[in-house]
Amino acid sequence: MNGVLNPVKPGIIFVLFLFCLTWANTQGVHAALLDGMLDDVEESLAEGLANKGEKLTTGNFYTDDKPNAHAPIGMMGDHTHEAGEVMFSYRLMHMFMEGNRYGTDRVTTDEVTMMGRPVPSGYLVAPESMRMWMHMFGFMYGLNDTVTLTLMVPYLNNSMDHVTRMGGKFTTRSEGFGDIRFGSLWRLWAIEAPSIGAHRFHFNLSMSVPTGDIEPTDRTPLGPNSRLPYPMHLGSGTFDFYPGITYGGEMGHASWGIQAIGTLRAGQNSNDFSKGDAYTINVHGAYELIRNTLSSSVRLSWNHWEPYDGMDSNIRTNHPMNQIRIVQTAFPDLLGGQRLDLLFGVNILFPEFMGLENRLAVEGGFPIYQYLDGQLETDSVVTFGWQAVY
Amino acid sequence: MWRRIRTMSWLSLVVWSGFAGAGFAYDVIDVRNGATITGKVALTGALPHAPRRFEVRNGPEVCGSERVLTKLDVHDGMVQGVVIALEGVEQGKPFASHRDAATDRGRGAFHYAGGNELNLDVRLEKCSFGPFTGVIRVDESVRFVNHDSIKHTLHTYSLKGRKAKIMRTLHTQSLRAQGQTEKNFPAKKLRRASAVVLTCDRHDFMENWLYMVRNPYYAISDESGNFEIGQIPPGDYKLVAWHPVLGMNEQRVTVTPDGRLAVNFEFIN
Repeated sequence: MNGVLNPVKPGIIFVLFLFCLTWANTQGVHAALLDGMLDDVEESLAEGLANKGEKLTTGNFYTDDKPNAHAPIGMMGDHTHEAGEVMFSYRLMHMFMEGNRYGTDRVTTDEVTMMGRPVPSGYLVAPESMRMWMHMFGFMYGLNDTVTLTLMVPYLNNSMDHVTRMGGKFTTRSEGFGDIRFGSLWRLWAIEAPSIGAHRFHFNLSMSVPTGDIEPTDRTPLGPNSRLPYPMHLGSGTFDFYPGITYGGEMGHASWGIQAIGTLRAGQNSNDFSKGDAYTINVHGAYELIRNTLSSSVRLSWNHWEPYDGMDSNIRTNHPMNQIRIVQTAFPDLLGGQRLDLLFGVNILFPEFMGLENRLAVEGGFPIYQYLDGQLETDSVVTFGWQAVY
Repeated sequence: MWRRIRTMSWLSLVVWSGFAGAGFAYDVIDVRNGATITGKVALTGALPHAPRRFEVRNGPEVCGSERVLTKLDVHDGMVQGVVIALEGVEQGKPFASHRDAATDRGRGAFHYAGGNELNLDVRLEKCSFGPFTGVIRVDESVRFVNHDSIKHTLHTYSLKGRKAKIMRTLHTQSLRAQGQTEKNFPAKKLRRASAVVLTCDRHDFMENWLYMVRNPYYAISDESGNFEIGQIPPGDYKLVAWHPVLGMNEQRVTVTPDGRLAVNFEFIN
C-alpha cells in the first residue's frame, strides 16, 4: 500500500494549498473559509434558536480563558489564534518502549534471537527497550482572520538497548534536531449559541523539511561507526505533508474535539527510501474542574503507520559472513503498525501572569491496542508542556 | 466536475467584483439654505432591558472588579443613545468633528475627525470602547487604539440572516497593551447589515453598537432624548431612529429651504 499515492501526493497537496490561498485571497473579507457558504444551515439553526430567545454567532474562533480551551498537550494544531496573537510553546515528550511484538503477540528476546527459526525469530540481535526524548519548540502567529501560521522545531534524544544471541548487551544513541515543520491552520467554520455550545472547524496543512539526520552512527558489534537502523533516525529525509481537519467543541465547563491528520511523504530521500505514510485520529474530552484554573482530559489516539518504502543500502540487514539476519529494526518492511493509546491529562491556566497568558499541561498514557509488524512495543507516552500567549 | 468548479469560481469572482464596486458615494458641497430637523426620542412602556453586572476576571486592576453593561439609558421616559439618520442624501455638508465619551465608569471614546469622511477613531480606555451607540461608515478604515495596560481581543460582528438572528464575525484582532490597529469595513461585507457590533472577547461587558451611516446627516440623542440635524439640503428623505435594544423606527420627511422641522420618535414596548 505504501507508495501507491506517491506520484500524485505532491500534486494533490499543492493544488489543495493553492486552492486555500486563492480562496482566501479572492474573498479576502471573511473570517473563515466557509463563511457565507452555509447560509441555509445557519438560517435553519438561527430559526430554532430564535424560539429560545438566542442568537446564533458565526465565525467566532476565540477560545475562552479556560484551561480546557486548548486540547490535551500531546495534540498539536488544535486551536487557531486571533490576528496578531502570538503563542510560544515548549513540549517535553517521552516515549518508552520495551519488549518486542509481532502482530498482537509479544515475543521474548530469546525467541527473537533463536537460531534457525522463521520471522519473528532468527536474528543475531534483539532490541530490548528504547527511550525517545523530544524537546519541541513551537511558535504560532495569527496572520489574519483566517490563517494561523505555525512553526515547530524538534530536538531528539534516542537510545536503544540491545541484547545479542550470545547474551552480550550494548546501547546505541542518536541525538540532534529533527525535521523542522512549517504549517498553517485555516479557519473553516464556527458557530455558537448558549444552548448548543461552540463548534469550530479548521483545516490543518503543514510541511516538514528534512533537517533531521537520517545517517546517525554509533558503536555496535559491527563496528565503531555503524549506521544505525531506521527507528534511531532523527528525521525522514523527505519533504512531508501533514493535511488534516480539526473539530473542537465547548459548552459550559466541558470541551471536546476530534482531529484527523495524515503524514504523507513526498518521494524518496537521498538514501533511496521513504518512511511510510501515517494517519492519526484523536478524540478527546475535557472538563474544567476549577474555574479558569484547572481542567482534566481524556484522549484516545489512533495511529496507523505504513512500512518503509525502499531501503538504505548502508544499513546492514544480514551478517556479511553468514548472511544471518542481524536485527529486525534494519528491515524496512517490518516498520509498519497500528496503535490505540489512552491518555489522561491536566491543563493549568495562569491568566495574565508576567504579561503572558500561560498554560502548563501534562498528559500521559499507554497503548490499549498494538499491532506491529515486528518492533518494540510502546509502553508509555508522557508529554509535559508550557504555552504562553502574547 | 473541474469545468463546473472553474465556472463557479469565475462566476464568484464576477459577483464579488460587482459588490466591490457598489460603494456608498457621498459628495461634500457647499450647502445654502439648509434646513434643520430637531426632535425627541421617547419610550413608552416598561424598560425592555435591565443593566447587567459582570465580575471582572481579566485585568480587574485596570477595569475595576465589577462592571455594569447598560444597554438602554432612559431618563423620565426620554431615551439617550438613539441614532437618528437621514437617508437618501447624496451630497451636502462635510462630516462633523466630535468626540463621544463613554457614560459608564470606562473612559473609552469615539472620536470622529470628520471632513470628507467620518474618520472614526475608537479609543479604548479603562476597558471601554466608548458610549453604547455610535456610527460607522462602510468602506472606511476605523482606527482602534488601546490606551490600557492590558490586552483586549477586539471582535466585530454584523447581524445577518432573514430576521437578523445571526451574529456574523467580521474581524478578530488581538490588541496588545498600548497597541493599535486599523480595520476596514467594506461594503461587500456589510451589504445586508445595518450595524456593526464591537466586543472584546476577554471582557463580556465591553459591547458597543455602531449604526452604518452613508452621509453626515445623523445625530445621537442626548440624555434628555433631544437630537438636532442641521444644514440639510431641501428635499424628501427617510428619517430613521435606531437603537440596538429598541429596534428601528422611521418616518418620511420633507425639508424646505431654511426650514425648521420638528420630528419626534416614540418607541413602544
